[in-house]
Amino acid sequence: MAKGNTQIERITEAPVEFVKEGAAFVQKCKKPNTKEFSKIVRAVGIGFLAVGIIGYAIKLVHIPIRYLIV
Amino acid sequence: MAGFRFIDLAKPFLPLIPEVEIPYEKIGFDEKVVYTIISALIYLFTQFPLAGVAKDVGAGSVQDPIYFLRSVFASEPRTLLEFGIFPIVSSALLLQLLAGLKIVKVNFKLRQDRELFQTLTKMIAILQYFLLANVFIFSGFYGENLSVVAIVLLNVQLVAAGIFATLLVEVVDKGYGFGSGAMAVSVVATATSFVADVFGVTQFPVDGDGHREAQGAFINLTQSLRSSHKTYTSAILGAFNRDYLPNLTTAFLVVGLAAVSGWLQNFRIELSIRSTRARGINNVYPIRLLYTGGLPLLFSYVLLFYIHIGAFILIQIVAKNDPSSLIYKLLGGYSSVNNLLYVPQFPLSLLTPSKSLIENLTRQPLTAFTFTAFLVVSSVWFAVVWQGISGSSARDISVQFKEQGITLTGRREQSVAKELEKVIPVASGAGAGVLAVIVATGELLGLKGKGASIVIGITSAFALLELITVDYQQSGGQSALAQVLGAPGGGF
Repeated sequence: MAKGNTQIERITEAPVEFVKEGAAFVQKCKKPNTKEFSKIVRAVGIGFLAVGIIGYAIKLVHIPIRYLIV
Repeated sequence: MAGFRFIDLAKPFLPLIPEVEIPYEKIGFDEKVVYTIISALIYLFTQFPLAGVAKDVGAGSVQDPIYFLRSVFASEPRTLLEFGIFPIVSSALLLQLLAGLKIVKVNFKLRQDRELFQTLTKMIAILQYFLLANVFIFSGFYGENLSVVAIVLLNVQLVAAGIFATLLVEVVDKGYGFGSGAMAVSVVATATSFVADVFGVTQFPVDGDGHREAQGAFINLTQSLRSSHKTYTSAILGAFNRDYLPNLTTAFLVVGLAAVSGWLQNFRIELSIRSTRARGINNVYPIRLLYTGGLPLLFSYVLLFYIHIGAFILIQIVAKNDPSSLIYKLLGGYSSVNNLLYVPQFPLSLLTPSKSLIENLTRQPLTAFTFTAFLVVSSVWFAVVWQGISGSSARDISVQFKEQGITLTGRREQSVAKELEKVIPVASGAGAGVLAVIVATGELLGLKGKGASIVIGITSAFALLELITVDYQQSGGQSALAQVLGAPGGGF
């Protein structure tokens, strides 16, 4: 009986422990400051949009092709 | 005889499956960039409509049951890329997971074993393309009563496109490009669908009067403001609210999610390290919160895909989506929406985020808990397991430290592994949990898979960017591309 209890305790404790440790970790984390963040956002944003526009251009090429083959 | 191993299954197929040769010489920085982007773009280009689909697919027939999983795997309904990169991603993830957990025995030190494992991964990917194709064919997704010729034709198209996609991804994987091919494809596909949703100019008929609206939410807003049959308020309301095409609300939500995941990406704990060889050289070693990046989420979505395909097989093929059958009563069925989507009913709906927040709150309030819980639990589990087996566990890193002659400040060399052991699993678990909660929130607000795909896309973009930056610095900034684009060395 006692053994069963400890097992149940362990099962319920694990997530609580995890959330506690995780929250502590996130709090300890070094967060990016505004300047750093805006730099990152600009770099990734521009790259992302550029790739997206090229990709969309390719999708536009698809439209006449679809007309031709369907 | 060491007994039969699972990877030996691939042996007879070793000479049959096409393979990309490993590059003979070192690929330069510029070539790598070009290979990565072009492979992904070729992938996009292959989204041709399927031939042999019945013409009358529409009202009353079988609709798309996995619409909310599609954008994660870069798949488009009723095109060659019906299943996107799902088979490739799922077989790679699952097999590596099984190998890491020692369920499938592979000795990665042996070249022979590595080859077998690779071929097995590819074989399972292609097998999945084949199986999924036939699930969709026999469910009636391409029309009821298809002729034998049509069935064969559909099979050939879907499987051939699958093999092609597998090879395309392999080109990047084998060292011609940066990172993994699936990552590149997912970044480019996410970026493309974002641009299409916001700035897409393609016009679609929206009502019986012959009015047309643009696909892009922003383009639609400007168009509606200028059009004569709408008042200003209705134009603005429509741009934010329309549910038949992308609206501005989803666009803003997606941008928000992208920003949050970019912000989280830079959460880190900096462990101070020092050299054991020279005195006075101190530095920091960052451990990221998102230690395993977007992979845990991808894993959760692979699981979701399997669950929903399994349910689709049972409900559509076995039970014919008939409300009186036992399976329908046990699992829930599908109801057709807008003649486009198959929306799962309770209890299958527990793992299906609804199309809008209001529907989520009123019609399936339980989903908010079950869906979030599913994502969080599966992601966290995967992240914790994965960090231990992926070659960047605490033990691996402490070995690296030793080789490079560095140690954590204030620790003896022997206790480095123990110290890292305290940080890395927590970081990957917590990171995956946070990411899962963010995605679940986005999905419950009605993003139909766009939330998950943008988060995975952004985390992959960061991973790629990091690889590119490292390579750029190692090649000493010798790049014609960078000169053309005018990018300064440390611009990233």
